[in-house]
Amino acid sequence: MKILVCMKQVPQKDAPLKLNESGAWIREDVSYEVNEPDAYALEEALRQKEKHGGEVVVITSGPARAQQVLREALAKGADRAIHLEDNAFVGLDALNTGRAFAAAIKDEQFDLIFTGLQSDDYGYAQTGVVLAELLGWPHATIIMQIEKSDAGIRVKRELEAGFFQFVDMPLPAVLTIQSGINKLRYATLIGIKQAKNKPLRKVAMAEVQSAVTGNLQKIERLYVPLKTKNTEFLEGPAGEVARKLVDKLRNEVRVL
Amino acid sequence: MLVFRKPIENIERPQMPADVVIVGGGPAGMACALRLSQLIDAHNSTNPDSQLSKENIYVLEKAREVGQHCLSGALLDPRSMRELLPGFEKEAPLDAEVTNEAVYFLTEKGKFKFPITPPPLRDHGNYVISLNRFVKWLGSKVEETGITIFTGFAGSELLFDGNRVTGVRTDDKGVDKEGHPKSNFEPGYDLQAKVVILAEGTRGSLTKQLIAKFDLAKDSNPQTYGQGIKELWEVPSGRIASGEVIYTMGWPLTTREYGGAWIYGGKDNIVSLGFVTGLDYPDPRLDPQRVLQDFKQHPFIARLLEGGKMIRYGAKSLPYGGWWAIPPVAGDGWMILGDSAGFLNSQRLKGIHLAIKSGMLAAEAAFEALKKDDSSAAMLSGFQKKVESSWIKEELWKVRNFHQGFEHGFFAGLLHAGIQQFTGGRGLRNRYAGTAGYQHMKKLAELPADGGPEAHLLGPAKGDGKLTFDKLTDLYHSGTKHEEDQPAHLVIDDTNICNTRCVKEYGSPCQSFCPANVYEMVDDAEQPNGKRISLNPSNCVHCKTCDIADPYQIITWVPPEGGGGPNYDGM
Amino acid sequence: MSDSILVVVEQREGKLNRVSWETLTAGQALAAETGWTLEAAIVGSAVADLGNEVAAKKVAKVYAVESPNLEPYTPDAFSAALKQFIESKQPKLMLMPHTYQVRDFIPKLATAMGRTAITDCIGYKKEGGKLLFTRQMFQGKLAADVSFSCDAPWFVTFQNGAFRGDKAEAGASAAPVETVNVQLADGVIRNKPQEVFKEAKQAVDLTQAEIIVSVGRGIKEQKNIELAKQLAEALGGELAASRPICDSGWLPMDRQIGSSGQTVAPKLYLALGISGAIQHIVGMKGSRTIIAINKDSEAPIFEIADYAVVGSLFDIVPPLIEEVKKAKAGS
Repeated sequence: MKILVCMKQVPQKDAPLKLNESGAWIREDVSYEVNEPDAYALEEALRQKEKHGGEVVVITSGPARAQQVLREALAKGADRAIHLEDNAFVGLDALNTGRAFAAAIKDEQFDLIFTGLQSDDYGYAQTGVVLAELLGWPHATIIMQIEKSDAGIRVKRELEAGFFQFVDMPLPAVLTIQSGINKLRYATLIGIKQAKNKPLRKVAMAEVQSAVTGNLQKIERLYVPLKTKNTEFLEGPAGEVARKLVDKLRNEVRVL
Repeated sequence: MLVFRKPIENIERPQMPADVVIVGGGPAGMACALRLSQLIDAHNSTNPDSQLSKENIYVLEKAREVGQHCLSGALLDPRSMRELLPGFEKEAPLDAEVTNEAVYFLTEKGKFKFPITPPPLRDHGNYVISLNRFVKWLGSKVEETGITIFTGFAGSELLFDGNRVTGVRTDDKGVDKEGHPKSNFEPGYDLQAKVVILAEGTRGSLTKQLIAKFDLAKDSNPQTYGQGIKELWEVPSGRIASGEVIYTMGWPLTTREYGGAWIYGGKDNIVSLGFVTGLDYPDPRLDPQRVLQDFKQHPFIARLLEGGKMIRYGAKSLPYGGWWAIPPVAGDGWMILGDSAGFLNSQRLKGIHLAIKSGMLAAEAAFEALKKDDSSAAMLSGFQKKVESSWIKEELWKVRNFHQGFEHGFFAGLLHAGIQQFTGGRGLRNRYAGTAGYQHMKKLAELPADGGPEAHLLGPAKGDGKLTFDKLTDLYHSGTKHEEDQPAHLVIDDTNICNTRCVKEYGSPCQSFCPANVYEMVDDAEQPNGKRISLNPSNCVHCKTCDIADPYQIITWVPPEGGGGPNYDGM
Repeated sequence: MSDSILVVVEQREGKLNRVSWETLTAGQALAAETGWTLEAAIVGSAVADLGNEVAAKKVAKVYAVESPNLEPYTPDAFSAALKQFIESKQPKLMLMPHTYQVRDFIPKLATAMGRTAITDCIGYKKEGGKLLFTRQMFQGKLAADVSFSCDAPWFVTFQNGAFRGDKAEAGASAAPVETVNVQLADGVIRNKPQEVFKEAKQAVDLTQAEIIVSVGRGIKEQKNIELAKQLAEALGGELAASRPICDSGWLPMDRQIGSSGQTVAPKLYLALGISGAIQHIVGMKGSRTIIAINKDSEAPIFEIADYAVVGSLFDIVPPLIEEVKKAKAGS
């Protein structure tokens, strides 16, 4: 199985975020890490390779610092990496990121493409599905399990409220992988050493420029969400407070 | 039930041969790697027939990223960097050149400025830096030269063969809270190395193992330590000049405690502010984080920080013992550098330049060892000799009795320091003895119940949330994270001592001296004193204070699973 | 033809997903603000009856977009069907609830039409002549106002709880329901979904829970967690805890909320006996509504609570469980 894993580098979860001068993005002087859902996508890809043989390739788009995510993936067992490295890739919307990826892999023949569920910075949950449409491939999202079948694969999809569904799909296909489905493996010293010699192909914007257009959506501004609410203290004997709370739950919070 | 971390027994471990393993990616370790690389490159360019390889030279760094566990004020004396990388000022991240120094003696509300800055504290020519950023930069230079830095890997044990150190074992990964391997368990590697260089920083855990095994410290003074607690602040423009350096002594400490504060003006209105408290104070209830919060309430400091925002917090111990507390630094297959050895000038409050120099000298010895394929004690003793004939010795010799002079109080210390100034460091005798800090700690029975004149230093800080903070809030700003499901890495020999003796005799000082709320005595009706020791190991900022200050010396700090710890971004 | 807003409601196995009413409320608000016509669509096989339910609300028209191939749901079918429909009716703005199903096909539909979707929005603004859609970013740490830089049709999905479903206005009279049959060619549908089934979750994913009942040190003893569990069950929510509770092993680590656990932003976060140390707060302050019960009137949790009760949770929670059960039985 030849599997491509799309990975993203995002600001560390507890990094103190500051707005940049334009107010439309954050200052980049924070620590970065791999988008956690993508780490699970990689883990699943590596497990599939261990079961069925094949190759795992990782791809990311971003500035030089994003290479770290690829190095870590190679250290964990990925075979090759592709880095769309160009400042111009930063801030591309999901559609254009998908187009850039599709252009970068046009000469490859993958059986499966995995992405994480969504990114911890934007949280759009779109890139995988966009890529599937651009490639003309079937897709499924929030996948918990993947089994090979005669016709392709059988995946287990997570639905809301504790429901699940198996779906049979042909290959090639794009899957977005649910987080937490496996324990993530550690990179070993040998893995890290070997990673240095694994192929890492850099792709400049010029190479995929023809596929990409201007963004179709724009972040006008970023801001710290304002808390306009005031704290309402509920008083009285316990029974009365309980009734007041239920009243709020029904009419204000609307969970009853 | 507390389960403590120890290497899993009876398993097969992957073996990896190495020429040199440097444990610790701080200024000493990185300088060593860089210098070694320079020597090898120079050698290879003139010796096409006997090339040396860098393939098997490794730096082990327990933090997830280079520099994340590096914390210091910091002021860099550029002397050794200029030797290592002439012209380094042009590319290194230096925040500001020191423009101005002032030393103050504080009383509760007042201050007295020293009319002349004492010479050791004159910093002209030095740079205000963020050690974290500096080491990151240094690390990038090391990687450029082709030496591998393994981040997220700790040295958990030394490997021995008789009297020889034969390598380092890295941490076991994927072990659960009960000590059992998880499904993603990866055993630590045995790095079989010709030369092991310990650059673990203050109170290194492998260094401690080595010293214990070979009784290396038998002829030295016991090492003594201080705890430095730092906050990084963003203040309104104009409060402090970039490159301005302020030291304070006196309040909030009394004459019975050793310590003082630093305030350095960095760039972009960032202020580095911190308090060092000697870990030899008498009252076990003293809380160094509380001391820092008290300090900030002094009108002089409060004015400086007014309207500002605290952006980072951290703590680390520092080795004060000076020249006489440094053990032998080279032996059969091993060398010790930087703070692990104790190369710190406590009078000048500087050690980074000494760490770097020690790294360079060790690199020279390692290089010789590689060339001759001989890393015996005889060969590596070259490092010891180099240190003793270098300006490291010159500088540290002059202050060899500095800290010991303070063991009988602040004014006695100043007196001794004054005499030492005129006698090339000798003072009243060539070698002042020293006592380990924990031996100064008094039992509660010997102290006034309310703490007496130290009352304002005892117990946890409440914090107002703006100028002062309680420990948990401060801790949040250290960016500390660990894998939660792992055994406790603060190894307590006998928790019964905590629950039955210490709680009565000293009142469980671990709750006070730990700057990260790792230690807690929780209610437990089944215990004789109603309390039981409980740990929050994932709060740990790797300062090593507990290993140093616990009065029964039953705590051994070992590295937790690599990749965990504080995130001293910008510190 | 005047500009129109199209709300696509969601149904499964003949039942409307209640969150669709929230999207309708959003649509009505946007229609009032922009002066555009509000229409609705329901997609599936033989869904005209459900269309009638929607038609009772204040909408100009309801479309039942039908094909036997639209049951069961597949992204290929839904995307192709809606593409056909949109190309013929040309709505300006398409609104949907941000459900798992919508996430599964909306990026595909938008891409197929050469457009883009702004997803998981919590509100909107109108500035000058432009519509801006507000979304949370960086796990709720920051908010973003996002606009479209392309022509219509525009695709927007709204987060669960962003609007009030009960505020969807009823129509003066039932709106017309028009069935639109779409043709889906053979081979368009590539996925073969099997029956949906329910399964006991092995690990809990608190980030998907709408209601969370969380306990802190104030719960005092492990056995008292049972009380919180009952409240969570009564509300149909998940149980969670602050660090010390999980550290003591009273609840498994996957129930931990905070900087070293999960970050959640549910519709309702009920904090019982939690003081509100910053390490915990950062894991839940994005919650839509926060109710805190704590004995200590100075507990920092009260600074971010919408509703606060200073008192013992042991006094308050038992009657609260009773009242919740009563309310659920009665409704």
